[in-house]
Amino acid sequence: MYLKTLTLMGFGQFHDRTFDLTPGLNVLLGPNEAGKSTLTQFITAILFGFPTKKHPELRYEPLDGSQFGGSLDLVKDDNVYRVTRVAGPRGGKVTLQNRTTDLTLPATQLPKLLAPVDLQLFENVYALNELRLGTVFQASKQVVMDRLRHVGAVGSDFWLAQAQQLDRAADERYKPQGRNPQLNQQLQQHRDLTAKLEKANGAYQDYWRLLQDQGDARQQQATLQRALTEARQRVNDLTQQLQAWPIYQQWQTLGQEPTVATTGFTEDDVTAFERVTSQVTAAQSALKADQHRLQNLQSHTQLPKLFQEALKVTPQLTPLLAQLATVTETEQERARLLAQQQDLEQRATGIERQYATANGQMPRPFSLATTQQLKQLQDNLALANQKRRRLQQNLNQANEDYRRLQPTRQHRNPLGDKQVGWLAAGLVALIGAMFLPGTVFKLLGAALGIVIGYYGVFVVDSQTPASRQLQELADDIKDLQAQLREGGQRIDELTDQIDAIGTAHDLGRLPAEQWLAAQAAIGEWERLTRQLASVHQRLTATGEPQQAFQTAVTTLLPSLAHQDFREILRQLEQLQTTQQQLATQDGELAGLTAQLKRDQTALTTAQAAQTTFLRTRNVADETEFYHQYQTIREQGNRTAQRQALATQLGSDRLAQLQQTDQATLTQATQTAQTTATDLQHQLDTVTTHLATLAGQLAHLTSSGTQAVLRQKLANLETSMQATAREWVLDRLTSQWIAATLAAASGDRLPKIVSQAGEFYAQLTENRYTKIELTTETLRVQRADGAWRTVGQLSRGTAEQLDLAVKLAFAVVMQSQAAMPLVIDDGLVNFDANRRQATYQLLAKLGQRLQVILLTADSAAQTVAQGPTNQVVRLTSK
Amino acid sequence: MKFIHAADLHLDSPFLGLTGLPTQLATQVRHSTFVAATKIFDRALAEHVDFVLLAGDLFDRAEQSVAAQAYLFDQFARLQAAQIPVVISFGNHDYATDQHQLVAYPANVTVFGANVTTTTLTLKSGETVAISGFSYPQRWVSDDVLAAYPVHAATDWHLGMLHGAVATGGANDHYAPFTLEELQQKHYDYWALGHIHHHRLLAENPPIVYAGNPQGRAINETGVKGAYLVTSHDHRLVPEFFPTAVMAWETATLTTTATTLVALGQDLTTWLKAHPAALPTLTALTITTSQVLAPEEQARLATWPALFQRTQRAALQAANRYFVRLVVAPPKTTLVAPELDQTYWEQGAAQVFTATNVQTVFGKLAQEPSLAAWLAQVTPAELQEAANQRLVQRERGDEPDVP
Repeated sequence: MYLKTLTLMGFGQFHDRTFDLTPGLNVLLGPNEAGKSTLTQFITAILFGFPTKKHPELRYEPLDGSQFGGSLDLVKDDNVYRVTRVAGPRGGKVTLQNRTTDLTLPATQLPKLLAPVDLQLFENVYALNELRLGTVFQASKQVVMDRLRHVGAVGSDFWLAQAQQLDRAADERYKPQGRNPQLNQQLQQHRDLTAKLEKANGAYQDYWRLLQDQGDARQQQATLQRALTEARQRVNDLTQQLQAWPIYQQWQTLGQEPTVATTGFTEDDVTAFERVTSQVTAAQSALKADQHRLQNLQSHTQLPKLFQEALKVTPQLTPLLAQLATVTETEQERARLLAQQQDLEQRATGIERQYATANGQMPRPFSLATTQQLKQLQDNLALANQKRRRLQQNLNQANEDYRRLQPTRQHRNPLGDKQVGWLAAGLVALIGAMFLPGTVFKLLGAALGIVIGYYGVFVVDSQTPASRQLQELADDIKDLQAQLREGGQRIDELTDQIDAIGTAHDLGRLPAEQWLAAQAAIGEWERLTRQLASVHQRLTATGEPQQAFQTAVTTLLPSLAHQDFREILRQLEQLQTTQQQLATQDGELAGLTAQLKRDQTALTTAQAAQTTFLRTRNVADETEFYHQYQTIREQGNRTAQRQALATQLGSDRLAQLQQTDQATLTQATQTAQTTATDLQHQLDTVTTHLATLAGQLAHLTSSGTQAVLRQKLANLETSMQATAREWVLDRLTSQWIAATLAAASGDRLPKIVSQAGEFYAQLTENRYTKIELTTETLRVQRADGAWRTVGQLSRGTAEQLDLAVKLAFAVVMQSQAAMPLVIDDGLVNFDANRRQATYQLLAKLGQRLQVILLTADSAAQTVAQGPTNQVVRLTSK
Repeated sequence: MKFIHAADLHLDSPFLGLTGLPTQLATQVRHSTFVAATKIFDRALAEHVDFVLLAGDLFDRAEQSVAAQAYLFDQFARLQAAQIPVVISFGNHDYATDQHQLVAYPANVTVFGANVTTTTLTLKSGETVAISGFSYPQRWVSDDVLAAYPVHAATDWHLGMLHGAVATGGANDHYAPFTLEELQQKHYDYWALGHIHHHRLLAENPPIVYAGNPQGRAINETGVKGAYLVTSHDHRLVPEFFPTAVMAWETATLTTTATTLVALGQDLTTWLKAHPAALPTLTALTITTSQVLAPEEQARLATWPALFQRTQRAALQAANRYFVRLVVAPPKTTLVAPELDQTYWEQGAAQVFTATNVQTVFGKLAQEPSLAAWLAQVTPAELQEAANQRLVQRERGDEPDVP
């Protein structure tokens, strides 16, 4: 950028004055008071604004009253802009115009057009005067650094502002400790959602548990269903059994009726019977009719009362009359038998009186063996008695001898008395022993007693020699007595045996000797008795039909009742006779009678047939037959009914029912029903549980809570990532700007310093060759290598250093900030040589940038040669 | 012989990279993994296949999804009713742990254990099939598991199931790393692979096949999704892919010369008409503008995509599309900052856009797993590009007058 024209409308001492400038070195030559400082101030004021009215000395308001301000044309990027500034608020009223495009631009564009150079930078770097040159070196080293840094970071203000904006934006997105920034809120949301999801994930455990429960319950359900089906079947079966029970009972009842296994009561039999009965009825009616006719006929004839009576019952009477001869014969026989019976009884009673026992029992006859045995016994008895008598005689003889041998009946053997004493002592010992305690002692005592007694009887006795003979005799007697006893016993035995036979045959009343003789009488009695029995039997046999006959007759003819049988027979005979007489009376009657007989015969035949019919069926009469028939028919019906019931029940069911009873069945049914109900209840519970489980599972499965939350979380994470990306980008971009600025400033300073070194060497005619920027300050190196700090330099040399640095800056920064250098008499402290060197340097720089040198030194015009340079004399006007 | 090879069902897993969807679409998304999987099982039943192989990642175990478990029980029961066996090798997402599987799957389901085992099926045709595989016992399996696979058994067929990725030789080989040669050396008739979500044949004969996932769940899972129906032809197994996805993902670009948002909207509507989708498609569209938008349009650009989605619902529905990302990119420009040399920007970038610095800036946020995951996949270069865009916008935004 360079300034093309300066137009001062009214500024300081100038009014309506125009200066045309070239892009190169412009030397504005004028003595003091020519307005050099005023022009410098004009350029500064038009570009950056008038100073405030607090510093009127710097405002350069025109003294002659012309309009304050002016304009300047500047060229940038081949465009010519005109900046006009007149009095106005805040630094004056600016008009900006692009003269190339002839567009008026807003005043706010002016700083941007000049950027990055602002008033401060312009005054510090581009507008030089003696006052400003070197001031810097009186300041502290920190100021130097700041100045240089400001210079180095020129143009960074925009980017610094951007970096700050980015940081603010980043802070709105996320702060590590914050709460409200977007990402912080999202992170909070994320935590909340995660917590919710974790809670929802609890359903996972529930799900497995429910699934397990479901499996168990299903198994249980299946088991229960099976059990229930079985139980229901059982209930069904039992109920059916129970329902069938009445039928079964009926079946049973039918079976209990006794079965009459009689044949001959079929329908055919009934038909046959009815035929027979009708025959009887027919015969009877025929008979009755004939009897009626007969009665009519007989009414004319005088007949005994009995006959008339008999006429009515002729049919019944006729067979009786037929029997009359037989019956009469029988009656005679009976009379004979009765007589015989009486005789026999008399004879039997006679024998009984002789032989019967007290209670009337007749002895029984002996068998042949018994007779012989008795005879034998009686012989033996006779022998025994004989022997007994002989022995008695011998005994008597012996007794006689004994009496004889016993000389003194008075002189008794003392020892014999002693015998009694021994015996008594033995007895006492024996009895005494009984009182001893203990069996052994008792036995020992008894034995002692016996021994004592024995001693007394046998030992003591035999000790007497005198009694030896007597003793022998006594022994004989004893022997005989024993034989006698034996004989007696034998006799008794025989007598007993005979008695036994007598007792066995009830012959106790008779002496034994008569027994054999009585046998004949006993035999006779027995024969009589047998005859009696036979007679009696025949009597009885004949009595019965006779009785029956009598009864039949008296039934028919009541008038004959209470009459003697023989009288009855006689009357009947008379009746028969009368009948026979009547039969022969006349033809009609005879015919009728014959007819009656025939009728009677027919009736008899029919009745016989009927009777036979009934008898073959073992029934008494018609009623019984029908009853029996009815019974049999009913029985048949029952059997059929029972069979039907059995079919209805079925054989299996019947067999089942036969195994049980109603109470058990009812009980079992109830139990089964309870079981079934129970199972049903359990099944219902399980089913309900399953339904609940299914509902819970369905709820868990279909709620979608987990999926929705997860998707929400995923979405939130996407948003978070986006936010985090924006945030990190803001931060990184900000960092990038900072890093770039640091790099830029960090790089420019050395360049500026190096360039300044070059310029400084030229300005000092190579007395100083190098400038170095240390961390603390600037130092310069002399050509001989010695280092000097700024403070060690002379004022002129220091000013030259400042100029070199500023020129270097302007040159280095030219690509970013092309601003003209305005130098207002800044070289007063320079010696002639160095001033000349400066002019030459400026001329050289003028080839690269616009330099406006305001000076009173005419020597300066010598360097302002060339096409882009010019010399303007301020006082020329 | 006929069977279905599917993998990576990822049942009930959320879709990633969304910030919100209309209710109807959200519902569709929620059901999509199930509906897609159901298509596989439906096909198995319709084709009367001999068995079904599921090569891992049926669900995400960490998500503890009730719906996923309930769904699997239902489907396995369906297959059991048709007497179709199912063979499962769990992968890195549904790795096998005992504690959550309280109720076993139906009897027709065979689940491999942590060690390589071989199960042998006898088909209705009388053919015998040996199937070797294993389940992940935890998230990572870094060992060489291939050594444990037996060689071809004395059966009519021998199939391998493997959930894993081809070895890269790097440090991230956590998913049963294998090489193609290793698989081929087993001389199996078919390798049913899982883990990679794009269906692909690694080799033709014998087929070594990634089934891909039946339903894409993120913008990087574009393309047709489904499973394989494998049929034997002359003692060779021929895989035939069939699609199952109910929603699709797609990335697209649109270049426009529009300078106003109205014109941009018109261009976009035109594009939608020209690109109707067969399935409801979640679309990420990048619109590149060749002309710079006017500054006041720039200011409204941030809210414009949402506005477009709201106002142009009919057009979107007609095209069967929903924009999950609608980015309007300005023309590619480099930063021209006259005050500062380009070299300084480059120097600054070199200092700022390093992984270490990005990590440092990210700081505590890296503790948030989802953000850490994002950070892990973003490169400093990408960030620099985005930051550059930002600077360009700022510079331009502040100098709107510059012709």
